[in-house]
Amino acid sequence: MLGNTDKSAIGFVIAALVFFFIGGLLTTVVPPLVDKSWSKPFENEDPSKGPTGKLRQYTELELKGRAIYVKEGCWYCHTQQTRTLLADTKRSGWKGVDSPISTPDEFVYDSPHMFGTKRTGPDLSRVGGKYDRQWHRTHFRNPRDLTPGSVMPPFPWIANDDEQFNALVAYIQTLGRAKNWRPDNDYEK
Amino acid sequence: MPEQGQRQVQVTRATPIGAVPLADSIHEDTTAKWFLLSSVTYFFIVGIIALTIAAKFVWPQLLGSVAYLTYGRLRPLHVNGMLFGWLLPADLGLAYYVVPRLCGVKLWSEKLGIATAVLWNVIVLGAVYALPAGYNKGWEYAELPLPLVALVVVAWVMFGINIFATVATRKYEQMYVSLWYTLATILWTTFVYPTGNVAVLFTTGTNQANLNWMYVHNAVGLIFTPIGLAMAYYFIPKASNTPLYSHKLSMIGFWSLAFVYVWTGAHHMIHGPISQWLQTIAIAFSVMLLIPVWTVVYNFFATMKGQWHQLRDNIPLKFLMSGVVFYLLTCFQGPMHSLRSVNAIVSKTDWIPGHAHMALLGCFSFFAISGTYYVVPRMFKTKLHSDALANWTFWFFMIGGLGFFVTLWLGGFWQGWQWNNPSIPFIDTVKALKPVWTVRFFSGVLMFLGIATFLFNILATVVNSGQQTARTAPAVTA
Repeated sequence: MLGNTDKSAIGFVIAALVFFFIGGLLTTVVPPLVDKSWSKPFENEDPSKGPTGKLRQYTELELKGRAIYVKEGCWYCHTQQTRTLLADTKRSGWKGVDSPISTPDEFVYDSPHMFGTKRTGPDLSRVGGKYDRQWHRTHFRNPRDLTPGSVMPPFPWIANDDEQFNALVAYIQTLGRAKNWRPDNDYEK
Repeated sequence: MPEQGQRQVQVTRATPIGAVPLADSIHEDTTAKWFLLSSVTYFFIVGIIALTIAAKFVWPQLLGSVAYLTYGRLRPLHVNGMLFGWLLPADLGLAYYVVPRLCGVKLWSEKLGIATAVLWNVIVLGAVYALPAGYNKGWEYAELPLPLVALVVVAWVMFGINIFATVATRKYEQMYVSLWYTLATILWTTFVYPTGNVAVLFTTGTNQANLNWMYVHNAVGLIFTPIGLAMAYYFIPKASNTPLYSHKLSMIGFWSLAFVYVWTGAHHMIHGPISQWLQTIAIAFSVMLLIPVWTVVYNFFATMKGQWHQLRDNIPLKFLMSGVVFYLLTCFQGPMHSLRSVNAIVSKTDWIPGHAHMALLGCFSFFAISGTYYVVPRMFKTKLHSDALANWTFWFFMIGGLGFFVTLWLGGFWQGWQWNNPSIPFIDTVKALKPVWTVRFFSGVLMFLGIATFLFNILATVVNSGQQTARTAPAVTA
């Protein structure tokens, strides 16, 4: 069958598209139809099934902050996924409590998604509530003042602009909070 | 069948790949010239951006107070600039040169081709403005704002029409393997590019990420791989003046690539928030990628049998065959990374840029540089300005490239081990990589010298040809 595709351009085109579309459709269109958790927002009231909580829509301020996160390319160096690796749950954890792993239902309202591919800096999937506003203000002015050895660029124009700064911090404080995973509820504002 | 295969090789040598001196004069090549010269220029300009972001890892305060020169703004410019400013238009330029020759006819429309080249330059210049200004859609490889995306689609359709119409009017019935890969690139990109740039708009979260990775993976796998292999299949036999080893092997390689590549997008989210069964499918197909890769590489190596001595002084061939070796290596890494145990170490580390640069620089850019060095003197009907300088280009790229790849692999692997030991604070794993990033920067300097010598050599060749024509032309003013 394929032996003749090098003589007939039309036969070639059809075969090349059929080959492409088998895998193309089965891996993009079909999975969200099969796995409903991709589109159902997280909600759990039963502590025996893991952390409780509810995923809520972003507020207008948080969306503004998210747009800054996208625009400044924070996502090139910070992932937002606590993977199914023991070390990830420890590193995303806080004060001796391990973080729950990230699940698709926590990201239903995210567009563009910010899962990321590279960790030049630490993962941020559970960073919400770990540091207060003053910490973030100092950190954006010059990360090395708080973390010597950091290679993160300074962002003085954000730290010095209350509108941008408030929005960005409001967004950062939401990260990973759909799952209420801190037993003492000791989140920073 | 073996007889037919044998005849195939003969045909390949006699017609498309063999010397057809008479036919060559029918080609204008204006489109190819415009595409190649502009892409080589962008290679140089974006090379400066590349060096800048590599320097920022070593000196994080560098240009730190200027918003549009921060890492987060320049990295997308580096990636998009190299992919869509240098590599893709270089491959398009080579396709505009190769396809008419393999069809034995002129390019269908040189005017349409020139318009495509102009439009492409508009797109690249638009990106050079938009990305530092912060117009970033937020998806990797798909950062460009929507108006530019629309222009890319228009340019792609113009390219596709021109190539398909040329193939439709071809004189040789048999299509050489380079033609299949070029046609397939046009077809697949028509679906892959809008998936990553437009379809993602209608989805969120994991579903969107799945489309995004399908695009990211296939931008490399179904755009740069097939167009790059099309060029390798043309230039390896051409530059070594040796017929391709096997037509049948090239068919197996092509059709297995067509079937297998598209399934693997989810391997970018191994261990991540995406269904385990989809990860497993992606892993299985990633391992199957070894079939098309090894088939293609065997075909190239077998073609070179008895011809390896040519590597001593044949510069295009040096680039081509080292590109093939890098292709073999990078496509061995890929399937291995997708295995869960290996992925747990290397994923998200600096190993990954080492891997990605070996594919796009070490392999596909090497093919494109080789093709450019091969066709530019022929298109301008002159000799290359300096073979010695071209040899320097090769060694700058080779040593700089190896320095870059190898240090990032070692550093990335080490980083991965450290991350898997949660008792090591994260910042210590950052500090540990500083020597690696310093070596990467200086390797980058070497690669940049490679780009600079490449640009100079190509421009000097073009300028020389202009002076030659001036000298040989009848003296009108005298």
